[in-house]
Amino acid sequence: MVKPTYTRREFLGTTAVAGAGLLLASCSPDSGQKPATSKGVLSNLNVALIGCGAEGQVLLESLLVIEGIKLVAIVDVWKYNRESNIRRIKAQGVEVNGYENYEDLLAHEKDLQAVVVATPDFWHAPITNACLKAGLHVYCEKMMSNTIEGARSMVQTMRETGKLLQIGHQRRSNPRYIFALNRLIHDAKICGRLTAAQAQWNRAVTEDFGWPKHSDMSAAELAKYGFKDMHQFRNWRWFKGLGGGPLSDLGAHQIDIFNWWLGSPAKTVMASGGVDYYQNHEWYDNAMVVYEYQLPHDSPIPTGIVRAFYQVQTTTSAGGGYFEMFMGDEGTIKMSENPSITKLYREDRAPAWDDLVAKNYLRTSATQPANDADKVDVRETAPLLQYDIPVTFAKKIHQPHLENFFNAIRGTAKLNCPADEAFASEYVIHKANEAIAARKILEISEEETKA
Amino acid sequence: MSEIHVFNRRAMATQFQVRIANEEKAYAQQAAQAAFALLDDLESKLSRFRANSEIAQIGELKVGEKLRLTEPVFACLNLARKMEFATRGAFSVTAAALRTQPTKPLWSLVDKEFTIRCDNGRLEFDLGAIGKGFALDRMATVLHEWSCSAYLLVAGGSSILAGEAPADSAGWSCGLGDDHSPRRHWLSQASLSGSGLAVKGKHIFDPRTGQPCSKHHRTWALADSAAESDALSTACMILEEPEIQEILRRNPAWLVFLNEEKTWQHLGSRTAPPLATSE
Repeated sequence: MVKPTYTRREFLGTTAVAGAGLLLASCSPDSGQKPATSKGVLSNLNVALIGCGAEGQVLLESLLVIEGIKLVAIVDVWKYNRESNIRRIKAQGVEVNGYENYEDLLAHEKDLQAVVVATPDFWHAPITNACLKAGLHVYCEKMMSNTIEGARSMVQTMRETGKLLQIGHQRRSNPRYIFALNRLIHDAKICGRLTAAQAQWNRAVTEDFGWPKHSDMSAAELAKYGFKDMHQFRNWRWFKGLGGGPLSDLGAHQIDIFNWWLGSPAKTVMASGGVDYYQNHEWYDNAMVVYEYQLPHDSPIPTGIVRAFYQVQTTTSAGGGYFEMFMGDEGTIKMSENPSITKLYREDRAPAWDDLVAKNYLRTSATQPANDADKVDVRETAPLLQYDIPVTFAKKIHQPHLENFFNAIRGTAKLNCPADEAFASEYVIHKANEAIAARKILEISEEETKA
Repeated sequence: MSEIHVFNRRAMATQFQVRIANEEKAYAQQAAQAAFALLDDLESKLSRFRANSEIAQIGELKVGEKLRLTEPVFACLNLARKMEFATRGAFSVTAAALRTQPTKPLWSLVDKEFTIRCDNGRLEFDLGAIGKGFALDRMATVLHEWSCSAYLLVAGGSSILAGEAPADSAGWSCGLGDDHSPRRHWLSQASLSGSGLAVKGKHIFDPRTGQPCSKHHRTWALADSAAESDALSTACMILEEPEIQEILRRNPAWLVFLNEEKTWQHLGSRTAPPLATSE
């Protein structure tokens, strides 16, 4: 359904009486959505976590605090990790079973409704497909797969089985992101016509992961699960055939925001990157990507071309941080999961934002550029006024996206990132790695981005 | 003495350091990285400055509401509660709350549910006087998992936690006060924390009154756990000497050093670590 569009004045008129409280409430991750199924309400869901590495442990913490979720089992091929996580979970008063692999899980746990998959990328497709076919709903971390074919197979299995498949782009359920897109960009049109986007993730140099003495997997175990040795197992993100490197680990989240907020996948991609720093890695340690987007004809904001630059660095100071910035002819939104980095800037040519501030859709930043009427310094362009988004949420960052998944299973919400929608992002991210290797501009047709 | 490998990380608004002895550098570096990863995770949970941290979420609770906590946060608050009881309220994670609220906020931990409940007021927690020590204790657990038993962990110079001594050494040489302190002890299998007015001025509030308070120039506390020594050294800053003596009688594993302008004394029955330099 095409969302109704408003002029700026109409938007304020429609919300003037309701005020900010209703406005914010309407931006909860599941608001305004119709049930995906008519199964009725399942108050308690039995869930298993497959893969308990760094990302799995982040998800685990949310799983343990969400009402109505019973974590019944965890799976990890590394005995050391599996047992230490079971100990941690039991210390919180939760009894869980542990399994080495998903086959054992499916063979023994007969009362599961859903699994959360957070294994290395190259295991996502086989595990997700098997679990969907076993009748389970699946939440799978991004990337969907280390190959386009793998990701496509997941969408196909989702359709064949009729089960839900949510992809872990958690910003899609973040109330601050939903508020910024729906209310500020679309309804209030604070950026005017979008012309550019920029996102980046900068990380400082880190050593490769090691492992404690006496915790090694045997050569046979490693080979069984597709790894050459323990170093490759612990650092799989850097190896081709296993993961997709920083563009897929970090970039996937942010490039997905490009697609989501601009309303369509990129039409072209050009990129540069390389293995310039870490000599024992296969994937690029740095990448700079330029996408070209065409806003769709039914976009709620004026349509046109948007060029989007993406940068991921793993060899720099982390001082640059991580954010996604959307720039238009009337204003800019700099978004981040970290609220302290989020800022909005108004161009002088834009209509005043005072009414938005008065209604608590925006908040004037505490720190503002000096505006002394009795003096003027002729040096450089004056800085823009800064604003903040007043929306916060008192939950773990991944929690709303998991809750959206579970509510969709219960039939009280619609998935915020179903696999078929995520596939378009998946496709253009794979294309960025391909563009680096090809060293040329790649065209992307809309048909290609559909699974 | 064996080579000591030193690794640094900025966290919790201060500088953390991991020193590891009796290990190869590459292995020690990976172990330190694992410990720092845990530190980052703990900061994301315990910091009141992070919008989505559990401490920030606790601050949003209304009276009667509960929040399920992760194990480390629950454990840290459990320890904080025990230290508040042991120090007769001289240590509290709500020490500064009386500056913004008429009465002290009240809270309960529900063991079976792993939840915290807001019983009264607004739970404005500040773990500044226990969080760094708690982090050191947890980092030590990681190093033990990595079979690194000879270590010294440092949190901003205010808390240290020593594991086994480096080979051929009596311990880790730790000065009370500053790098060139004339009073140094050999520390092993213990934690030492210091509080004072020299660095941050009068920043310690009496949780019982909400007013700035300091009864001593500097205090140090020795305990097996860094969370305990961290909290105890802060509490001792606002306690009179007889009150400290009474607390130490009930907790014989703790030791307190007091430094007034020119005098030193140690309180408690625990044997002080051997001196590394003559006084």
